[in-house]
Amino acid sequence: MNRSRMVGPVSLGLAVVCLALALGLHDTLTGLMSLHMVVQIPLLVLGGVFLEQAWHAGRQPRAPSMASAPASEAQQTAVAESGSTRKRLWWKSTSGERIRWSYNAYGIPGLLLVSLIGAGWMIPKALDDALVDWRIAAFKYLGLPVCGWLLRASLRQANVVIKLFFLGNFCWMSAIVGMVYLDQPIRLCNAYLQDDQDWAGRGLIALAIVLPSCWLLAELKPIWRFLNR
Amino acid sequence: MRWILSLVLALVAGIGTLYGLTDGFTVLTAEAARRQAVAAQPQPVPAAHVLDSAGGVDLLTRNLRDDGRVAIVNFFYTRCVALCLAQGSLTERLQQAIEAEGLQHRIRLISISFDPRDQARDLARYAVRMGADTTVWQFLSFTQPAQRDAVLDLFGIMVVPAPLGEFEHNAAFHIVTPDGRLARIVDLDDPGWALNAAKSFMTSASGTVEPKAAVRGGSVEPDGSRPAPAAADTRSAGTQPAPTGRQP
Repeated sequence: MNRSRMVGPVSLGLAVVCLALALGLHDTLTGLMSLHMVVQIPLLVLGGVFLEQAWHAGRQPRAPSMASAPASEAQQTAVAESGSTRKRLWWKSTSGERIRWSYNAYGIPGLLLVSLIGAGWMIPKALDDALVDWRIAAFKYLGLPVCGWLLRASLRQANVVIKLFFLGNFCWMSAIVGMVYLDQPIRLCNAYLQDDQDWAGRGLIALAIVLPSCWLLAELKPIWRFLNR
Repeated sequence: MRWILSLVLALVAGIGTLYGLTDGFTVLTAEAARRQAVAAQPQPVPAAHVLDSAGGVDLLTRNLRDDGRVAIVNFFYTRCVALCLAQGSLTERLQQAIEAEGLQHRIRLISISFDPRDQARDLARYAVRMGADTTVWQFLSFTQPAQRDAVLDLFGIMVVPAPLGEFEHNAAFHIVTPDGRLARIVDLDDPGWALNAAKSFMTSASGTVEPKAAVRGGSVEPDGSRPAPAAADTRSAGTQPAPTGRQP
């Protein structure tokens, strides 16, 4: 309980740190293509992710049955033996219904939009334009945190299969684009040096390795439980 | 069916974003985008004072108008040891092609330095090194930084300072009409194409040109081989001549 109460403030703090870093170090981060692509843009998205987490944690007390994963896990086993089983099951089914009919069912529309926008930011022209065109810059600084928010909200609704699909999709895209960058004998961004383009490529490939690793770590508990079943 | 509605909305928004970022799925790089924009609508060159290799200062637009020839313009700096050298030798071949076809009264070449260190003396020395015929190939540099930036901006040349006092920059052949409009941008690989583009504007100006000579790359690369990508490592974008490269 104590832990779940901490989630809100910690997330809010992390969100502020991410956004402050992304905006405060603007000149440094947009000075190099690699930092722009693999640091600043993910920071903006992460800012949105943590903001949503903080907001969600703030809403938590109103829906006690959804408190925290370990708690509900314990509840389920306890509930299975208690007399209020039917009530719990009823709640679960209606919540399932609510998810099915919501605008962001299983998080699919949200994840789809986030994937497409993620693909957009791998286009070299987007990086160049973000430096010279205020509309694209606005799209970056406002749109990416919103994307992060949407991403976190969608992940909350998505099940493992859907998460795996979108994560896999993003990772191969990132790895392929990274390899294309590494492979290009010409500069793709007018604003950046060739060396830096190679580093951006390596960064994207690294992202394709780090993200699934993080996901595995985060889902370690359910996987471990599944293996020990 | 609310989620289907939102799924469709997400698709439309996402694909719309990609459509906007790539100018309607036609370009992936800013370089390709600027070529396309210029080909669609020629842009007037902003007023800028330029220094020539003889030490004279003139307005770039006046220089273009008084001369009356179609100009193939590119940008360089004299201390460059990579891209500009390759660009220089391509331009030299272009000069030979212009003279071989007897077009020197209709088409000329201009190389403009963006390096503030380049003075008239540097330009003159560079012209000698490149084997330039000064009646066909002129070397200029800017006298005022603000005007330089405006011109580079219009031509879409991005100059990034690199270590050791060098610059990394994108390069191409820019066709500028005598009335001071940037009308076409052609990949550096394609001097023959640049010449053809220049000829097409010459035709519209004077109305007399033998179309037979306009064989792509014909006289520039007699062996039909494209110039080796010598400075490929520093050359910028424009992998595909894209719709921009369409024969004018």
